[in-house]
This record gives sequence, C-alpha cells and structure tokens, in this order.
Amino acid sequence: MPRYDAIVIGARCAGASTGMLLARQGYRVLVVDRSSFPSDVISTHFLWPHGTSYLNRWSLLDQVLAVTPAHTEVTFVNDGIPLTGSVPDDLLRAYFRDWHGDDSGVVRSYASIRRHVLDQILVEAASKAGAEVRTNFAVRELIIEGDQVVGVRGRDSDGQLVEERARIVIGADGRNSFVARSLGLPKFDERPRCTFAYWSYYSGFDLGPAQLHRRGRLACAVAPTNHDQNMVLVWGPSEWSREFRRDVPGNLQRALDFVSPDLGEVVRTQGVRAERIYGTLDQSAFLRPLAGPGWVLVGDAESAKDQCTAIGMTHAFRGAELVADALGRWLSGDVSLNEAMASYEGRRRSQNAAAYYDYVCTLAEMRPYRHDELQLFVALRGNQQEIDRFVATHADVAPVSEFFQASNLLLLNDAAKETSAGYPVFEDFPATARMYQQNLFA
Amino acid sequence: MSLPELDQRDDDELIETILAAAGRRDLVAMAVAAAEVSEMTRNWATHIPWDEFGSLDESTLGEVVADLTQMWEPVDLQVDADEEYALDKNAYDFYRPAGRNLMTRTEEFYGWVEARRRTETWQYSRTLEAAPSSVAQITNDIGRRTRGINFNSQDYLSFNTHPAIREAATKAMRDYGPHSAGSPMVLGNTRISDELEASLGELVRADQVTLFPTGWAAGFGAMAGLVRQEDHVLIDRLAHSCLQQGARATTRNVVRYEHLNVDAVRRHLVDIRRRDSRNGILVVTDGLFSVDADWPDLVTLQRVCREHDATLLVDVAHDLGSMGPGGTGVLGMQHVLGDIDIVMGAFSKTFCSNGGFVASASPALKQYLKMFGGSHMFSNALSPVQTAVVLEASKIIRSAEGDFLRSRLHTAVTALREELTGYGLTCMGEPSPIVPLLIGNEKLARIANRLLFDRGVLAFMVEFPVTPTGSSRFRLQVQANHEPDEARAAAKIIADAIADARTYLSSAFGSTER
Repeated sequence: MPRYDAIVIGARCAGASTGMLLARQGYRVLVVDRSSFPSDVISTHFLWPHGTSYLNRWSLLDQVLAVTPAHTEVTFVNDGIPLTGSVPDDLLRAYFRDWHGDDSGVVRSYASIRRHVLDQILVEAASKAGAEVRTNFAVRELIIEGDQVVGVRGRDSDGQLVEERARIVIGADGRNSFVARSLGLPKFDERPRCTFAYWSYYSGFDLGPAQLHRRGRLACAVAPTNHDQNMVLVWGPSEWSREFRRDVPGNLQRALDFVSPDLGEVVRTQGVRAERIYGTLDQSAFLRPLAGPGWVLVGDAESAKDQCTAIGMTHAFRGAELVADALGRWLSGDVSLNEAMASYEGRRRSQNAAAYYDYVCTLAEMRPYRHDELQLFVALRGNQQEIDRFVATHADVAPVSEFFQASNLLLLNDAAKETSAGYPVFEDFPATARMYQQNLFA
Repeated sequence: MSLPELDQRDDDELIETILAAAGRRDLVAMAVAAAEVSEMTRNWATHIPWDEFGSLDESTLGEVVADLTQMWEPVDLQVDADEEYALDKNAYDFYRPAGRNLMTRTEEFYGWVEARRRTETWQYSRTLEAAPSSVAQITNDIGRRTRGINFNSQDYLSFNTHPAIREAATKAMRDYGPHSAGSPMVLGNTRISDELEASLGELVRADQVTLFPTGWAAGFGAMAGLVRQEDHVLIDRLAHSCLQQGARATTRNVVRYEHLNVDAVRRHLVDIRRRDSRNGILVVTDGLFSVDADWPDLVTLQRVCREHDATLLVDVAHDLGSMGPGGTGVLGMQHVLGDIDIVMGAFSKTFCSNGGFVASASPALKQYLKMFGGSHMFSNALSPVQTAVVLEASKIIRSAEGDFLRSRLHTAVTALREELTGYGLTCMGEPSPIVPLLIGNEKLARIANRLLFDRGVLAFMVEFPVTPTGSSRFRLQVQANHEPDEARAAAKIIADAIADARTYLSSAFGSTER
C-alpha cells in the first residue's frame, strides 16, 4: 500500500484546492509545489461569482474578503456602448445544481485577488485540512511502473532527493505542466490565435466596480484588487505584440487612451504605478488528455484558454471540486477509477464546455466587433434581465447555447428600447472597421 | 512578501536579452538576466530552468531557446483561410448587416456562403436526381453527385413511392388540372378539399379544420389571426420557426419558456395574470420537436392553460400520422385527442405534400382564422393534386396499412438508434421518425457532414440558427421503407465520419451534452 492516496503536483488554484478537498474527505494527500508561499504567478487573478462561491463553499471566502474588495456589478463598454449587469442568483444556483448537485454557498460578488494573497490562503487551507504540503519541492521525474504512474521523485526543500508513492498522481501544475510534459501528452483543439496582455498595479484612484472596455482589436480592464490598488490590464491580438513591445509603458497608455479615453485620463493623471509592467502572450488554447493509468490532470494543465474572459481560476476551482468528487468515489471503493474518470471527462469535454471554449477562443482572436454584435449590445441596453444573462454567459455560468439562440437573439432585437442613433461607431461603420484593422503600435 | 521594485526591467526586455545572449552562447549573461525575471513569469513558465542557465549543455540550451521563443513570439499561422472563414462563422453573424443600401449590404454574407460552398461545408440547397426513397441520388450545390442511404428526406411513411398516393395524384390531375386558381376564400377549393377537412378532423378529433397552402403558413397564420398587440404569447424556446416568427409579428409580449417545462409555463401564467386580467394568452408548443425528438406533457399543459384562461396551440407537424395509435401522434399517445384547444400541423412530413391545417372544435374560430389569418385568405389554395394526395394519405394513415407502415418505421428507428448508441454516440430524445444525433461543435459537424457526403449516407446537418450554438447535430429522418440492416450500415458510416472529423480537427471534445 503506497504511503499516500494522492500526490498533487502544484499547490495553486487547482492543486491546493484539490488536495484540500481530498484531505477533507479523509484521504492521505501529499501536495507539492516548487515555490514557497506567498508566491506570485502570471494571472489575471479574477474570480467570477461562481469562483468566489467555491471559496464560500469551502469556508475560505471570509478570509479572502477581509483583504480583498468585491463587487457584484460589472460594466462592459463595447465601442462606446455600455452595459452594466451582474450574474443573477437563479443562474448561479442552477449552475451549482447542474455541476455539483447542490447549490449551497452561492454568493453573487466577484473579486480580483492577487495570487500572493489567494494561493497562500489555499495552501494553508489544504494543510489545515490534513494534507501534507511540501513547498520548495521540485519534482524531477514521475515514477512509472509498467504503464502506471505510481509516484514522484523530486528534490526536497533541503536539497534531498526523495521518492513518494501514491495511488494516483494529480497534475495541477499549470499550462506548462511538468506532468503532461513528462508523459508526452499531446495537445488537442489547439487555438494558436490568442491575445497579448500587459498589466500592472496602480494606486491613486478608485473607480468602484470592475470595467471592461473594448474598441476595435484592443481591450482594457480595470479592477480593484488587494493593497488598495487597481489592476489595469490591456490586451490585443498577439500578432500586434512585437510592435507593442517596442515601448511597453508608452503603448500601454496609448492602448488605454484609444480604448477608453476616460480611463486613459484617470490612469495618466491620477494613477501611481506600484510595480513593473508584466506581460504575456503565452496563452494559446489547448486541451490535453484528462487522465490515464495512475494520473489525472486538473486546471490549466488539462485545458488552458486565453485570459480574455478571466475564467481560468474559476475553472480551476470547478475542476478541483469535480476531480476531488470523482476521485473520492473511487478511493472509497464506490466506483472504479475508469468510471470515476469517465464522469469527470464527460463534464469537462461536454458540448457545453466545447461551446464555451469556442466562445473564448473566438474572443481571443480580438477581431473588431461586427456590426451585428454591436447592434445586439445596443438592443440589450435597458433589458436588465438579458444583460445579466449575457454577463452570466460570458462568465460561463449559463450555457452559451441558451443566450446565443436564434429565437432569443430575434426577441432581444424586437425588445430593443434604444436604437443605434446615439452611438458614433455606427456612423460610416465600414470606414471605422477598416481603421480598426490598423495596428495602433506600428 | 516584498513587492517587486518599480524600476526593475520588464520581462519583455529580459527575455529578449536572454535570447540574444543564447545566440552568442553567453550563458553568464543569460543567468544574470534570468535572475531579474519576475517571480510571476518564473512561476508561470515552470518548464524553463531559470536557475540553471549558467550550466546548460548544448541540447538543453536548444530546448530553452525553443521554449522561450514559443512563449514569447506570436505564432505565424499557416492556415487555409477559406476553410477557416467557412468553419468559423455562423449565419446569424450576418443578421444585422451594416450600411444603408439594402442590396449591397448582403455581399458580406454571400462571401461567407461562397467560402462554405468552396470548402464543401455548405449543407443547404442539395437537389434530388430522382424520387427520394430509402436510397436517393442527389447533387450538392456545387454540382457534385452522390448516392446514399437517405435520411435527408421527410417522408416518414414512404408515401412518395406509394401506388395509391400516386394514383390519387393522377386522378386529381385528370379531374381538376394542376391549378386551384384562387384563394380558398374565393373559388380555390374543390369538393375533395371539404373531404380532406373532414378526414383530418376525424384524425385529430377536432372537426373545425382550415387548410393552408404550407405548414409555415398554417402556424404563422394561426398566430397572426388570433393574437393582438396587447395579448401575450408563451412559447417553448424550441418551437418551430413559423411559430416563433408568428409570435414576434403579433405582439411584443413574448416569453420563451424553457423547453418542455410546464412548471415554467405555470409560473409565467400566474405572473401574467397577476398583471393582466384583460387580454389573451396563447401558449405555443410543438408536439414532437423537430430537432430534439421529444414532446411536452400535454395533459398538464392543457390543464394549466385552462386554469389561467390561456389557449393552447400544439404543432403536430412531425408526429401526426407517423406515430401513436392509428397515426394520431403525440395527442393520441397522451390520450388528449379532442381535448387540445388548437391543433396545427403540416403535411410535408408524413402526408406527402405541401400544406398545413389548423383544427379546433370551434366553428367561430375557424371562420375568424379564415378571415384574419392572412396566409389562408391571401394565398392560392392547395392545388387539387396536393389536396388529393393528402386526402389519400390521411385514409391510409388511419387504416391497417398505416399501422403496418408505422411498425416498419419504428423497427428501422430502433435499429438506427441502437446501432448509433452502440458506437458511443448520443441520440437525443425519444424513438420517433426523427433521430437527432448530437455532434455539438459546429466545426466538427461541418467536417463530418463533408466526409459523409462521399460515403453513402445522406443526412442533414442542422446547426445554428436551427439549433442553439454549440449544439449542432445530424437530423436523421427515417422512413418506413428503410430496412433495419440499411439503418445499421448507415450508423457505422456516420460513426466513422464523426471519428474521422474529430481526428481531422484534432479535437478532444466528446458528445455528452453538459
């Protein structure tokens, strides 16, 4: 009998949560991570309301909210057309009943949480739940017997080479997953088109709830986060990134001014930047196989997507609850590992999952909004229930298929309270669309 | 934790420096720059040995350069632009075109259709080369021919090749000629039109029947005839397009309720009646749903409607004649014949012709719809040939031969569903002449459809806007003439095509719905 039921590689959103949930079920869990916490990592670090709801279900939300601002309303401004909404309670409850069979712990607020804050809380929670957490632990190889992964070899915090064995090894080690690389796992559904994103942290202003702006092929967002700072993020198509990089601070401001002159003004005149500017374009989307003999993947390791809908952490939490539930049923002897993994896979590779994946990957191409999309945003104005459903759909609370359905779109159109008359983007739209194709940074 | 210094160099600059140093094989410079790289990036790119740059051997150095380049440089895509464009969009992306010239602004959509046609992923506008039976020969819209087991035609009892049906058509042609030459309100009807109304009235046990030139006209006409601006429509989210458009055309008070959810209907009715005790409410549903192959609980639905003074309209286009005792469809199966407020149907699925009808127990409703339904009064009547064919079909449907044909149909349906399920595929809904085979992703469905064309199975792929996005499927329409072996052979071909399409797209998504 191996010493552990499960070894989790990676102790961040997917890993620490999975380890904690398994430990709470009474299983012997080892969680390892190469970092020591608190520790930062590239992240949009946004939790949609189902994300914060998971924290609440796990009794960790109070601890997070003690140091993190949270809001329920979010504003999208697309080519000057503003929509303010929030994810409705009934859709959140339906989501949790559908995915996890119970709707306890639902909260409607979202939060932007720095990873050096959140990951620390998760690691401590895993430890408190009874999981053995070893930080500063670099996994060097997987131990494979036959075709079965049975454990890991790695270097401990004091430099010792150690070997640990478990009934299952869980790869929760991010998009550049060591587990996936060691097993030589292929990637599926690859979508190389993605965004480049640059961001930093600013004090000096408080704009309240989060705002997301889109204009042409560029976008920006501001969200209040820890330390009384705001995350200010700009993104655009990765094919414009070379030109953007020639002058990162200048182009970050240029992008803000182009997408939202108001926000650009606030950041320029009031913003005090607290850190260097971070950036990435390592965001192409893919799926990997979910599970095999002795191993399973969770979080970004199994499916990574572009940051543009800021869904990664929320999906990692969802994956943690799903995989911990599936593995729990196997470890308790109720079902075989194959059955448990089939149920996990069924949910993670479902049609709804595919539709949302497509939604994100299409957005990530950062094509200018089409005329019909902008008209839809106008039609939504004043229709609060449908704006809220749009927000819920964007955040993957409600299925894409239920909002983007022909009869619904036609009804939205018919129910429109506003016309396009008040929005300059519709004046000579073809010329505007051509202008949008020009690389702003060239 | 100590927050990073503001004046540290950005990772951009550092990684550029590292790559430049790697080009000079300057491991020391690489290590110096790596030490400055942010904690964020180091923890993200865990596959890069940031702390070991000083001692890299040549092959590891190559890997590091490759990994960093991949992380840091935008990809240069080599793609088939046409195919990408064709697979990427859907029809409603073009629903609100830009510009004030109504004619030229259709060009963008046309460009997309052309890309779909060039890449042979356009499933529409195929043409028949001969009578469609269980096997058919067809030409696609770029002129390529194929022949295959046919699930692409709606002729559930295979009446199109039935001798008695053909004889009825010939006789009507002799007696009345091809043309009805007028509105049914003027002089477009013949004696057999009255006979047909009576026969349909007996079949659905609602004797006040009005004929319409198409099924679409019947659904739209019924709603346009009955519903006024201040009235309300509660409509199943997936009800047929003619009913959705009827709802939109008549009132802004439209609620699309969750598919089949009678509790939702009840809640909406309570809510509407709380606000509005004066105006009418029409509740609208299909019997057998045409791309989901399921049906509502009509017993409860009709009762709930009566409790709130709402009127129920049920579209039985797909089930009447092809299912249920004596061909009475979903109504007969649920023992609500004669009990539904308004029954509407189309002849094109089982009755072997264009045309539709609206039936109720009310002579007043009948006269009102004839006058105000629009599509009845202001269309030419069903042609005599069509009328005769439908009349003959309705007789066979109610006969012992009808029972025999339905049992053959059911056998083929069962064989097809079981075989498809055996390949791990998802047949939606209940056994019925419509077998919806779930594919999901539109790209996958379009490629599978392209592969299927040359492999001897004719199937219609339905995607948005017929189905919700991400929920495309093959709608397989089975006929009484299909042999169970034919159905099983087709199932294998379809399963292979889907598997090959998935490989082509390198997709790991499966077919479970949620």
